[in-house]
Amino acid sequence: MSADDILKSLHPLEVKVLLHYGSNDIFDANRIQEDVGLNLGQCNQAVSWLAAKALIVEHERHHRTLYEITELGESLAADGTPEERILAHVSRNGPAELPRIAEALQLESRDVGSSFGALSREGVLEMNGAKQVSVASGTPSERMRRIRVLLDRARGGKGIAAERLTQSEREAISGISKKRGSAGAAFRVVERDEVTYRLTEAGLGVQERLQAAGITGEEIGALTPQMLKDGSWRGVSFRAYNIHVPPTRMVPGHRNPYCEYLDRVKDKLVSLGFEEFDGPIVETEFWNSDALFMPQFHSARDIHDVYYVKQPTHARGIEEPYLGQVAETHENGWRTGSSGWGYRFDRDFTRRLILRSQGTVMSARTLPRARIPGKYFGTLRCFRYDQVDATHLSDFYQTEGIVLGESVNLRTLLGFLQMFAEELAGATEVKYVPGYFPFTEPSVEVHIKHPVLGWFELGGSGIFRPEVTEPLGIKVPVLAWGLGIDRMALMNLGIDDLRELFSTNIESVRLRRGN
Amino acid sequence: MPKIELSQQAFFTYLGTELADSELEQLLTIAKAELDESADADGIVKIELNDTNRPDLWSTAGLARQLRVYREATVPSYTFFSHPDHTADSAERRVVVDPGLAEIRPYIAAFAVEGAPIDEALLNDVIQTQEKLCWNYGRKRSSIAMGVYRTDLISYPVRYLAADPDATGFVPLGATTRMSMRRMLSEHQKGLEFGSIVADFERFPLLTDDNGDVLSFPPIINSDRIGAVEEGDAKLFIEMTGTDMPSLLTACAIVACDFSDAGYTVLPVTVEYPYDTPVGRHVTTPFYFQRPASTTVEYVARLLGRSIEPQELIDGLRRMGIAAEHADGTLTVRPPEYRNDFLHAVDIVEDAMIGIGMDSFAPEVPSDFTVGRLLPSELYARRVTSQLIGLGYQEMIFNYLGSRRDFVERMYPRDQWQRACAEHVQVDNPMSENFEFVRRSILPHLLIAESVSANAVYPHYIFEVGKIVRRDPHDNYGSLTRDSVGMLCADVEAGFSLMSSHISVLFYYLGLQYSLREVSDGRFIQGRAAEIVISSRAVGRFGEIHPEVLEKFGIQMPCAACEIDLDSVMEL
Repeated sequence: MSADDILKSLHPLEVKVLLHYGSNDIFDANRIQEDVGLNLGQCNQAVSWLAAKALIVEHERHHRTLYEITELGESLAADGTPEERILAHVSRNGPAELPRIAEALQLESRDVGSSFGALSREGVLEMNGAKQVSVASGTPSERMRRIRVLLDRARGGKGIAAERLTQSEREAISGISKKRGSAGAAFRVVERDEVTYRLTEAGLGVQERLQAAGITGEEIGALTPQMLKDGSWRGVSFRAYNIHVPPTRMVPGHRNPYCEYLDRVKDKLVSLGFEEFDGPIVETEFWNSDALFMPQFHSARDIHDVYYVKQPTHARGIEEPYLGQVAETHENGWRTGSSGWGYRFDRDFTRRLILRSQGTVMSARTLPRARIPGKYFGTLRCFRYDQVDATHLSDFYQTEGIVLGESVNLRTLLGFLQMFAEELAGATEVKYVPGYFPFTEPSVEVHIKHPVLGWFELGGSGIFRPEVTEPLGIKVPVLAWGLGIDRMALMNLGIDDLRELFSTNIESVRLRRGN
Repeated sequence: MPKIELSQQAFFTYLGTELADSELEQLLTIAKAELDESADADGIVKIELNDTNRPDLWSTAGLARQLRVYREATVPSYTFFSHPDHTADSAERRVVVDPGLAEIRPYIAAFAVEGAPIDEALLNDVIQTQEKLCWNYGRKRSSIAMGVYRTDLISYPVRYLAADPDATGFVPLGATTRMSMRRMLSEHQKGLEFGSIVADFERFPLLTDDNGDVLSFPPIINSDRIGAVEEGDAKLFIEMTGTDMPSLLTACAIVACDFSDAGYTVLPVTVEYPYDTPVGRHVTTPFYFQRPASTTVEYVARLLGRSIEPQELIDGLRRMGIAAEHADGTLTVRPPEYRNDFLHAVDIVEDAMIGIGMDSFAPEVPSDFTVGRLLPSELYARRVTSQLIGLGYQEMIFNYLGSRRDFVERMYPRDQWQRACAEHVQVDNPMSENFEFVRRSILPHLLIAESVSANAVYPHYIFEVGKIVRRDPHDNYGSLTRDSVGMLCADVEAGFSLMSSHISVLFYYLGLQYSLREVSDGRFIQGRAAEIVISSRAVGRFGEIHPEVLEKFGIQMPCAACEIDLDSVMEL
């Protein structure tokens, strides 16, 4: 730290201590209390901070044993020790049995017993023939007198240093002292290092700079409402802060960056004129695949690709005329100009309930009520029978959409793809290649060049087959497209594991940043 | 989507040229194929084929054919096909069909080939073709199964029989002892795999030669003698059985064209049926059954988005191997022998698009004006989200599938498990028990998040706005998908009153008056749970999570939680 930084980092307490002493002064916490007018806690803080900055240094260190009077000691000093009180009682009232004495003095019989034991050993009291405590010498022993002196000396004070006691005083006091948990003893023994300090060269240097800068340690720390009210802020100076102190961590309310990304894509699509759609997670085979002209024997409709619902297994019905028209289209093409698939359409299987496996479902469901021209999209949770790993999830999002219009065609489709590539993905280059989807013909995949990550597949698209649109009542061409939204999100968030998108770890979600 | 492996050397031989990976990648796009792995040390290349309606591309010869045709712009021609107006010479090669097969597996197509001794690469390719064709196109052998045999051991006519599965037996390929056809279903690996296709019939399909020597038990397994083809064999007999004549004839054509491209002579076989088929009672195969497809130049131009000269279309289609003719605005195309994917005029349009080249169609900025709009539910979800962010909540997003343990057993006392299970939509064919239940509440996921986040600085305020699915006997689908918001506070101070304050802030800004009603709910501490009621309609619940629930999730911090049905709130 530079001298300037040290100057700024000084607390007013440190400033006051630094300014008070000269190069030859030796001081300790007690002396600072008196000299600078701080309390002990403030002194200790100032000393430890200054020492840490090497502005003061330890001069000498002495080990001290200190006897501090306890609350019990204070009351004994005031009311007399049990020994003093028993002696006085017997002297005043004549011989008495131990229990009587305990009762009269409201002492524990245990304390009365041990006190009498000590006094009879010292020949002050004795037990007469009637088992009564009676006066022997009747004068307090040397030990008792010492204890009385010590108690009186210690009353209301800060303790008595061991080296200021005589040998016999030390013996007497240690009999009524305890080291810790001082309950039940008159004194507590405190072992303590007393340390003295002096300023270092650096400390003297800082002192000079403080003086030069006119800093006194009386600068204002916090501006208070009171100061503003009474104007007392005028004429005072504000303590400079160390602006480099690391800020304390805060945990704010925070959006999930993945959700934020999904919202941004939705907003972008709305800005391009698309209207949002949504629908149930539980779907029928009819809407999930049959309406998309995927033959019921298609390999992608295998039990190992779709999640079936356990209960109920089938929808009660499928809306007509769509069911009839789709069924006939599968069988013989209906009025679509297609030859159809030439198999017998299974009207039970088509009601089978599943978990939606592709977002295109909602594109199909939207067709019967769509406006022309019309543009629709949805970001939809889809479910696949997949082993969960970095690139596969059991449920995930797809963003799908359709464009209906008398005049839409392959070139307008490419126009949309180019718009998505530029607007949604910030692509610098776009490439179109023939693709395959069971429900579009022609089909086009769009690949984009990401400025950092290179070529990747942005999504798939095509023109819905007439076998899809006509049975659902649509006579105009319909462009259909889908974006690999989860993969786009990974790129945007700079992560490479799909599972991270749906993380349950609060800390990692808190720390994740969007782009 | 099939993935195939091919020998690069054989592939380049078929192609008539060698290509760098980058050139190959580019060229593969016209076949909707992708280079999955470049040639390894053994010269094996892996390619992924995306078009499930083009089984002709799933072999070395077939894929090379499409690419070669595209480069050379010549339609390949095969002379061994019969068609409705022409029957090729099949000499003594006949297959006689038993009437009993009509209801079991009615159709068979066959041909023989002769040529050079078959090498390892070709044998592997034939095996791969058989697998891909029969698995993907033949629906796991149920609609198409294929067998290859040694012609030298066969005495014509071959007989396609409906045999008694208990009385008939032979030594199957891969075994050493004779066993009955019935036993093969339970003891032979292929029987276990494909037996269900025939198991329910009284009689099973069987192919023998005129001497009664067994060729195979279609669609299960070949015999170990006539059906044991090896490297070095130069004369082969190939048959396919199935249930759907068009796809069977297509598959037969594909394999015949592949052998022809490999330099073999294809020798037709006549099949004699005792019953009617879509192409007659005597069918000499390979047989060209496809009918011409037609469309108008105008239709193609409208769909592709620009005017096109008929000749440009004809040239484009030729690059895809399709012969086309034009007269008075009508375009008539002759589907290649090995393709059966022209269902509608749009299928012609796509081949034209690829043949002409995608580059020749410039993207056009769409001109129709439409109004963009978010769903009301999305807008409402955003309002709720921004309030909760303001209250200091971290937004979470979770998967919707979970386990019975998390959604039911950890959430409810044991005596409520059965009822709680019945309220969930469950998966009939789960991949694992971890993804067996569709969530009907957001709370379990919030608790899971809390249970793995004890090291994150407290307090934890988390929420999710998302979907839940509820069973509903009145619904056509038996369930309803709802928009829901779940909130959780985990902290020393987290309790009913904190959550109550948050809810009051939320509803203040949503502009809704609510009242609370005491509720008994095993997920919460009794007496510290409330139902949120708006216009006498319960729209959500909140309270202090029961310590037993916390313990089951391994959470050691008090939690208060709330869940509100946003669809209900929004309707008010």
